[in-house]
Amino acid sequence: MNSANKIFVLVVLTLIPVFAQDYLENQMVKGNGLYSRGEYFDAITEMKRLLYFDKEKEYTYEANKLIGECYKAGAKFTEAINYFSKAEQSAGSPEEIYNCRISIIRINILRRTNLRASVLLDAIEKDSRYSDKKEDINYWRGWNYIFSDEWDNASLQFAKITPDHLLKKLCDSIDDCQYSVTKAKLLSYFIPGAGQFYTGNYVSGLLSLGWNILWGYTTITAFSANRIFDGIMVGDLLWFRFYNGNNQNAEKFTEEKNTAISNGALNYLQNEYNGEKP
Amino acid sequence: MIKTAAIILFSTLSIYAQTEWVKWGKADYSYEIKQSNSHRQYSISGNTAGETALKTLAVGYWFFISDVDGDNCPFSPTCSSFFLQSVKETNIVQGTLMFADRFTRDMDFIDRFSHYPIAKNRHFYDPPSLYTLNNLKIKYIPAGEYVDK
Amino acid sequence: MKNILYLIFILLLFQNYSYTQETDLYSLGNRRLFADFLYCQKDYLRAADEYKEILRLSDSDTLHLKIGLSYLKSGSLDSASVYFGHVKINSLLYDYSRQAYYKCQFLLNHFDIVELGPYYYNPVDKLYKFSSLLGYKELPVNKEKFLRPFEADERRAAFDFYDRKLNPPYKNELTAAVLAALIPGAGKIYTQNYTDGIFAFLATGLMSYISYTDFNAHHQFRGWLFAGLASFFYGGNIYGSIASVQIYNAGINFKLNSDMKFYLEDKNYFVPDYEFCK
Repeated sequence: MNSANKIFVLVVLTLIPVFAQDYLENQMVKGNGLYSRGEYFDAITEMKRLLYFDKEKEYTYEANKLIGECYKAGAKFTEAINYFSKAEQSAGSPEEIYNCRISIIRINILRRTNLRASVLLDAIEKDSRYSDKKEDINYWRGWNYIFSDEWDNASLQFAKITPDHLLKKLCDSIDDCQYSVTKAKLLSYFIPGAGQFYTGNYVSGLLSLGWNILWGYTTITAFSANRIFDGIMVGDLLWFRFYNGNNQNAEKFTEEKNTAISNGALNYLQNEYNGEKP
Repeated sequence: MIKTAAIILFSTLSIYAQTEWVKWGKADYSYEIKQSNSHRQYSISGNTAGETALKTLAVGYWFFISDVDGDNCPFSPTCSSFFLQSVKETNIVQGTLMFADRFTRDMDFIDRFSHYPIAKNRHFYDPPSLYTLNNLKIKYIPAGEYVDK
Repeated sequence: MKNILYLIFILLLFQNYSYTQETDLYSLGNRRLFADFLYCQKDYLRAADEYKEILRLSDSDTLHLKIGLSYLKSGSLDSASVYFGHVKINSLLYDYSRQAYYKCQFLLNHFDIVELGPYYYNPVDKLYKFSSLLGYKELPVNKEKFLRPFEADERRAAFDFYDRKLNPPYKNELTAAVLAALIPGAGKIYTQNYTDGIFAFLATGLMSYISYTDFNAHHQFRGWLFAGLASFFYGGNIYGSIASVQIYNAGINFKLNSDMKFYLEDKNYFVPDYEFCK
């Protein structure tokens, strides 16, 4: 055998491992590539292809997890939770199980099924395998409270991580800015229009006060003059109506103002906050 | 011979053709809490003098009375809006009769779920188009069904 | 020696080729398997895309049919009918694909196309009869002619729909108006709006009574005010009774159409599913 032939045989023999590459691994790489490029629909197709041909179930966890991430990016939260659950079932280690559970919790936070997120956080906290994950759990609890508009409770959770946590400071400032619905309603119960003054809706407050004074006076003078039927009609159909309206408006304006403040903070968190988000 | 063999050998490598279709992509969802925006149109401009006059009266009613006495109308659109829309779709006389009928139905507080579909703001959906006596305008929606309006 | 080397080389080449075929997830065979899997998993859009990719390399009537079925299941009826139309006349699948094609046209409300369909396909004849029930053309007066294509277990339902279409239990506007004019509220009771009728009666009655007592007490202004209100409610009651008849009749039509729709869906529009999932 001359040297050229020997080289040729060696080349052929060494190329066999090239052809024997793990085709499933290639498929996984392909799926990750599609995901990183934002082609979520196609990434899911390729991962489903991988799952179908993966007879040894080697890639079940990774593939299902990637499908879950794709659905989450496309805001298809129910499907995302479904696939993260499948990934959890085929997870190989407590760390992988934890990652899946946290992903499910984060989706529940995003779609505002906060009670469900809370139940899942409680369950994961009770799991003795994750006693070293308390900070992480508190972090997501805080986010859960943020999304259920409970900024005071959110602040308490972040404070458990560090007393001067950035999100704690943010939650505190939002809680301080927001109006108290109870206070607004109580003010309006005693002085019609006072609740609207409290939230800065002065015109509505003045009108409420005016109408209540007018119909209150008319009702009282009707009863005083023994015109009972007139008194009942004006009292029920007019005075009570405007008094009720005053209470409704106090609550409505407070909630509107608070929602605007919350939305400002949520906007900042979504677009400018650099930490981990749901 | 070796060169030819090498060419044939390398040509057996599979070349994967990728074709991609985009069915859905990244969703732009917002963290913000959705507010129910059932704000009124306070503009008093109209196509005719009559319409403008009516709209002015309605805006006056909304500002001084309706916005202050709370959310009392169980229907969507509210009775005042129903009246305005009725007059716009028909005429002042027919619009008034439609409003009279609506006022009577407003007083009937018994079992509305069996009579009206439900709008987004949880009020009962009752548009003027059902009452213009024009069959073609009637889009029947069964009672109790949720409507995206 | 050279001959031995060449033999080794050819054997290696062959082994590499067959291994590549087996591990090539994008081979025609593997794509077919995956596409069928997607279809059976009800992932119809992906299945359609996968079948179309196979079609680029290998044309067959089965593929056209499966693409059509995938589009039909995912609601893309126009695309489905195009692919059903591609099945060749000499194919074993031709009859089925024609029926599926007319099913798509029916679902698209293209009743004029269904009318031109071949009636020797029983499902097409049945769908044409239903198109006349849905208002496409006048119902045949001859009941037997209408019922002819339906099987024994279908005749009862078909006759029920035929009868309800021919003789709908409509209410009469003039009757409602006259009843309302004679007794306020009676027109609404006639259209089964019982409580509306009672309130219309009470409102008109109360305003009339108050007007009467005011006139008796020589309160002219009040008398005319409440007389005006009584007229307001009386006029509204008559108008509302006529409108309620129209809404009632629209409800009759709606119920018939939705009952027919449920029946047709239950019967799969008389075209059975093409089953190939194991």
